[in-house]
Amino acid sequence: MNEASLIGLFVATVSFAALLYLAALGELLSEKAGVLNLGVEGMMAIGAVTAFIAGVELGNPWAALAIAMMSGAALASVHGFFTVALGAEQVVSGLSLTILGLGLAAYLGKDYVGQPPRAELVPVEWAGLSDIPWVGPIFFSQSPIVYIAILMGVAVSVVLTNTRIGLALRASGESASSTDSAGHSVLGLRLSAVAAGGALAGASGAYLTLSLTPQWAEGLTAGRGWIAVALVIFGAWKPGRVGWGAILFGGTLALKTRLQTFGVDFSPIILSMLPYVLTLLILLVISVRSRKRPSPAPAGLGFPYRREER
Amino acid sequence: MTHSSSVVDGNQFAVHLSDVWKMFPGVVANAGVELCVRRGTIHALLGENGAGKSTLMNVLAGVYRPDRGQLKLHGQVHSFRNPADALSAGVGMVHQEFRLIPSFSVAENVVLGSAPPLIRPQELEAEVAAMAKKFGLRVDPTQPLWQLSMGEQQRVEILKVLWRDASVLILDEPTTVLTPSEVDELAEILRRMAQDGRSIIFISHKLHEVSGICSEATVLRQGKTVATSLDMAATDAAELARLMVGSSPVAPDRPEVATPGDPLLELTELRASGDRGIDAFSNITFQVNSGEIVGIAGVAGNGQRELADVIAGLRPSTQGSVTLNGADVTAARPQQRFRAGLAYIPEDRLGVGLAPRLSITDNAILRIYRQQRRGLFIVAEKALAYCKYLITRFGVRSGDPGGPIAALSGGNLQRLLVGRELDGQPSVVVAAQPTRGLDVQGVKAIQDLLLDQRKAGAAVLLISEDLDELLTLTDRLLVMEGGVIRGEFDPRTVSRHEVGMAMLADTNATTR
Amino acid sequence: MMRRPRLDLRDQPLAGGQPLAFGIGLAVALFVGTLLLLSAGHEPLKIYTRMFEASLGDPDAWAVTLNRAVPLGLAGLAVAVAGSMGLWNIGAEGQIMTGAIAASWVARIGGEWPGLILIIAMLIAALGGGGLLALGPAVAKAKLGVNEIITTLMLNEVAIRLAQWLIHGRWKDPDAYNFPLAPMLPEQAHLPTLFSRAHCGILIAAGVIVISSVAVKYTAWGYELRIAGSSEATARYSGISLPQKILTVLVLSGGIAGLAGGVELTGTADRFTESLSNGFGFAGIIVAALALMRPSGVAVVAVLFGAVQIGGQSIQTLGVSSSVSTILQAFVLFGAIGAGVLSRYRILFEGDTHAVPEEVNK
Repeated sequence: MNEASLIGLFVATVSFAALLYLAALGELLSEKAGVLNLGVEGMMAIGAVTAFIAGVELGNPWAALAIAMMSGAALASVHGFFTVALGAEQVVSGLSLTILGLGLAAYLGKDYVGQPPRAELVPVEWAGLSDIPWVGPIFFSQSPIVYIAILMGVAVSVVLTNTRIGLALRASGESASSTDSAGHSVLGLRLSAVAAGGALAGASGAYLTLSLTPQWAEGLTAGRGWIAVALVIFGAWKPGRVGWGAILFGGTLALKTRLQTFGVDFSPIILSMLPYVLTLLILLVISVRSRKRPSPAPAGLGFPYRREER
Repeated sequence: MTHSSSVVDGNQFAVHLSDVWKMFPGVVANAGVELCVRRGTIHALLGENGAGKSTLMNVLAGVYRPDRGQLKLHGQVHSFRNPADALSAGVGMVHQEFRLIPSFSVAENVVLGSAPPLIRPQELEAEVAAMAKKFGLRVDPTQPLWQLSMGEQQRVEILKVLWRDASVLILDEPTTVLTPSEVDELAEILRRMAQDGRSIIFISHKLHEVSGICSEATVLRQGKTVATSLDMAATDAAELARLMVGSSPVAPDRPEVATPGDPLLELTELRASGDRGIDAFSNITFQVNSGEIVGIAGVAGNGQRELADVIAGLRPSTQGSVTLNGADVTAARPQQRFRAGLAYIPEDRLGVGLAPRLSITDNAILRIYRQQRRGLFIVAEKALAYCKYLITRFGVRSGDPGGPIAALSGGNLQRLLVGRELDGQPSVVVAAQPTRGLDVQGVKAIQDLLLDQRKAGAAVLLISEDLDELLTLTDRLLVMEGGVIRGEFDPRTVSRHEVGMAMLADTNATTR
Repeated sequence: MMRRPRLDLRDQPLAGGQPLAFGIGLAVALFVGTLLLLSAGHEPLKIYTRMFEASLGDPDAWAVTLNRAVPLGLAGLAVAVAGSMGLWNIGAEGQIMTGAIAASWVARIGGEWPGLILIIAMLIAALGGGGLLALGPAVAKAKLGVNEIITTLMLNEVAIRLAQWLIHGRWKDPDAYNFPLAPMLPEQAHLPTLFSRAHCGILIAAGVIVISSVAVKYTAWGYELRIAGSSEATARYSGISLPQKILTVLVLSGGIAGLAGGVELTGTADRFTESLSNGFGFAGIIVAALALMRPSGVAVVAVLFGAVQIGGQSIQTLGVSSSVSTILQAFVLFGAIGAGVLSRYRILFEGDTHAVPEEVNK
């Protein structure tokens, strides 16, 4: 174990954390509004493939990112339509969305497998700051998307607590009927939240093909969408805590491939179970605590809303 | 239809509903209803349960769309597509079931729907506090809503409507969740709002409560307006009652004085915790004898529901004992208590007493399926036969017994539920709000069933928010407030005032 | 001005609603699929014919389809049994794995046992393996009310990695040239065939489905299940012990999913692999949902779903990429979901109101 590999570990931790954080923020928005979206894998895949294709065809990474976010939002809106507008079961729709997203991504990306990327978002160099030992490479030489992820975290947090639309969004996840009575459109709020969630998941996928592993292959998402779902619960639906959780889970991902270099004789496969086990433990803690005060989970999560017009 | 004013000028009125019709499958809720409310007044909307009051107000508040009719606010015709439309036109409604968010703070609940685009929490809380003070509403804007009592939550609901600057405020049976002193507080709040130029519609089916507060009244009966713009000061209670029920109110038959037998239900020093960990009730000691009906009066939220649940075995007690027919059942499970002769009619019909998504037959056999089965299997013919028997014996109007339970109307649901529970000739009956929300025939039917049980020697514990019902039916009346029994009264001689005082937790009130 | 539509609960769901829903889903998928195929330069008619032939065209095709329907049906049953009580078992994927792990373990120690004994032992182990994985979530839900969707979902990932760990480590086949593979199963650890390539797993699955349907609909146990599923409060009120029911139902559900793993292992596979569960667990959720959480409907839906999957696989030899069949499947699902909703609700437009009667008879 030497300094360089340790730094490398931390750099990777931050990178993976950003990947997970973006997707988790999206899911957080959706769940805060009351809609469970288990299609994160699918949305990430779509974001990844469209970003790559757009990058190859257009050559501009920022345009590619934008297109990826729009694609993610579009896919998510399918789920939104069925669950919010039609009131179908959220679990079933979300899983179907994963299948659709993964299949669509594979189909679209078929001719692009193995192609070299034409647009990348390379790590930013902050004048001077990037040269500080340790802190420099870890915090100041990351892809611009990492910084976007941090900004997003702040933005989501501010929107949820300090804006009217944030209040309304949270309300629609807690009690859709009360929100409806207050004059808000539960349909509009939920659909927007789901679409925004899709956009962020798409951005997360774009991060994969524009920065992390600049190429396209089927199965690129490799289950990280599921980690994002777990992350939201681990962070008790609070953007700040989800951020810390992202660093923790990101560290797990980073460590997985580096265990050997550190001479640690621990199975990377077992290590990769960690995020899920930790989430389970936190869930137990939350449940025990919920006996005295309301649970942090949005009270209306998972339930479709139909105004009872009699 | 009687009017007290001969000229009906639409522009004088804050609210003018004319020829409003609203129908639901199988029932006409409002049939050509007229309602005129003068600006700056508190107007009573009276009528028995099921007369169409809530429906009409839901139309006014934009929750329902009328099938026909005209709605005028301050002389202007409006057509509301949803509650938001009504709110922006200045109509706000405080429903019986609050539309509040438990995990939000009071301030967040108040501003939901009309917050500024950018929220600065502390500023907002200060503004909410200021408005609350102006109208005499005692609330703490920073408190999370789930910590508030029903009365306090109602103040938040009122504040919500005021925050929207509603010029017309509708309150649907607001006093059912309030103690008598809170009712006085509410009256004062409403007076201040009326002085402020706002118009208030006060829905109630209790004459004596509205007479002190409201200046004018409209009476509905069976979906139609029988009188509007009545001057409350000039109309006496008997006349109003006649308008509400359609004939001279016949003094209800009091059951003859009972000679009660042995105690069949005994509670000793009983204590239990509520959902939030603190005591729901404590120190409960009383007994119900064979052949008598003991009533428990008190506003909802004072431990009655938990007490009923504990007696039935649905909630554990933390101290004390419950004895049924001489046997200690304190630790017994609900099914064991049922076998020991207890029948429980819960407040929640479709949700506790009945399984909402199952069929009528499935619900009918809830108590006896264990006896009926052959080996592992439930015998379909026996189940159907029993269901039909219950339907016939208790006069339940239903379609196909195999159909969904949710298709039955409220009165028929209750008949089935009560019938199922009483069919087993129980020795002890615990009935919680058994006639709530039923129409006149339904109420009579259930009350008759309870009286039958009394005659047959059962011990009946009747928990009700309806003081009139309790004063008429019971042999002994207890008052429960704040989780304790505050007094025992003879319903034949006690005055409403005495009972009201007991509900106040005034330690000088009559005790046992 | 456009009148806004809204959904209104029908008084009675459309008769034959659910099969119709599946049919509509299929029709929508065919339509979209045709467009997709055309855009990729294929001939839709040829493709569809091939799909049909490969899945339902002749006894051989039926054999393959039925084989595929077995894990789909058992997984679907697992989810439907839990669903009858309003519980979501999202962990079928993982439970299939642990069931297969348990069965493999028995195969490793029972290599010399006679065929019938070995197979029965393996299947019982599979039941246990699946039930064991569901035990944690079951206890957590029963005692603490922890949401079972998340707990079962998380354990999927744990179980899959457990399988990977075993195959890469202790169970690595020494004869596999250092490839991470588990050793082949003993020869006698294979279910006998019924006809063509169809194996006895079909009978096992059918039997379990029938028993479960009867149990849920006609027994007192099933009655209590349905009461608990309809309203927890009512269940408590009638003396049903909810924690006990939750525990037994979730563990049973896990066991059935585990059985799917065991049957798949002894029926179709030669050896235990990382991809044994192959998405059956998630597909099972969808099968159960399409069958409206009724065990009696699971069999038909599973066969149809199996046909769609097998058909989808078959067209890969015609040059259609596997992703197309995945997309088609997704469209079938969404089409069915949408149609299912519409069979229970109807669309009303703003302004539609009930007719005002001429006479009021009150």
